[in-house]
Amino acid sequence: MNNMQQEFLEAGTLMLVGMVVVFAFLGLLILFVNLVLAKLAVRFPDPVAPSRAPSNKKNNKKADDGTASPAIVAAISGAVNRYRAQHGQSSASADNSLPQNKN
Amino acid sequence: MESLSKLWLSTGLANFELGQVIMMLVGCGLLYLAIARSFEPLLLLPMGFGAILTNIPVAGLSEVGGLLHYIYYAGIDTGIFPLLIFMGVGAMTDFGALIANPKMLLLGAAAQFGIFATLFGAIALNFIPGIEFTLKDASAIAIIGGADGPTAIFLASKLAPELLGAIAVAAYSYMALVPIIQPPIMRALTTVEERKIEMAQLRHVTKVEKVIFPLGLVLMAILFLPAAAPLVGMFCLGNLMKESGVVDRLSSTAQNELINIVTIFLGLGVGSKLSADAFLNVETLGILALGAVAFSIGTASGVLMAKGMNKFSKAPINPLIGAAGVSAVPMAARVSNKIGLEANPHNFLLMHAMGPNVAGVIGSAVAAGILLALVG
Repeated sequence: MNNMQQEFLEAGTLMLVGMVVVFAFLGLLILFVNLVLAKLAVRFPDPVAPSRAPSNKKNNKKADDGTASPAIVAAISGAVNRYRAQHGQSSASADNSLPQNKN
Repeated sequence: MESLSKLWLSTGLANFELGQVIMMLVGCGLLYLAIARSFEPLLLLPMGFGAILTNIPVAGLSEVGGLLHYIYYAGIDTGIFPLLIFMGVGAMTDFGALIANPKMLLLGAAAQFGIFATLFGAIALNFIPGIEFTLKDASAIAIIGGADGPTAIFLASKLAPELLGAIAVAAYSYMALVPIIQPPIMRALTTVEERKIEMAQLRHVTKVEKVIFPLGLVLMAILFLPAAAPLVGMFCLGNLMKESGVVDRLSSTAQNELINIVTIFLGLGVGSKLSADAFLNVETLGILALGAVAFSIGTASGVLMAKGMNKFSKAPINPLIGAAGVSAVPMAARVSNKIGLEANPHNFLLMHAMGPNVAGVIGSAVAAGILLALVG
């Protein structure tokens, strides 16, 4: 019987200590969230504005690429055409030069 | 003739003992619950089958040299399996609702009263002849009130491995029974007006907060309760993998493939503890009864705490979300939501209830740490 009493006493203290520690631990966690995380949230607001801006930039870049590409294509094709024309001439001249060299 | 009798002696029929047959029926019962009633099928199916396998005569699957023996000692005796599961749970948990309304942590703390009150009850059961629970046994049984399977298995494997089978069966059965056990208690303790209370919308939670939260939680475990560090640490690792967003592959592995693999082994390992001599006794009945008590007290204290907070808090708090303070994620939160909708069809409490729900996971891990530190 005495043994039982002692066990009850132990269980009782365990209950008391346990609940106090659980509340203290989670209470500290509340402080942590309120003091640290809330400040971090103010200092580093990741939400709407900043996340939109880079995505817009990306979109702009993509849009730039999209609109620029025809112009670039035109420029490149123009350059290629001119190069081909020159190259054709130069190759023709080279063809001419070869026999010249032979001669 | 001699070889014939030898053959006969090697059959299961010749070697069956009554206890083994009964335990196989228990295993079949678990399979029935898993397959026909879908009670926590992910765990009860391998557990039920493990119970059948471990009770096969002659085969000795859970004796030295048997498969289940090694699964048990490699994963459950060491505590590795429940901790890996906890990491996966961490990777699935979103602390957003909790960070947005940190007061909900108090509800998660209050619901742990179920654990510590049951401890008392388990010691009181010693008055019944045939039951003898030490303080360690009582602590391992009481953690059922935390409604958290991996935590219960982890603590039971450390404090009372011989009761592990019964404790795991009780913990997972009652977790599956949350939608049946909780609503009557919730209705009894609240008025219709209280159930109708609508709560303010939660604020937005930034990514930085979500990344720092698990780190802060682990820091607190380091500083104040290292005994809870295995559980809290693995939980926070999983959560950090999810929230950091830089290791999506690891996070997805932890919450899918890894947790599935470990669940198979965990179920089998727990099933291997369902042997006749460990399960068929009065103590198992006591454990099942205490588990239900633990659950009910946890639910009630969560609801009462929420009622009290509603009286003193500026922002209205619906007492129903207090019931979600027992972990059982996300079932308990869904129950709160459902009962809330019954009273007020426009009142969606699910997100509000997720706060106390994940707080309950932290709370039961902390309670397990306290029990390990003081009793273990």
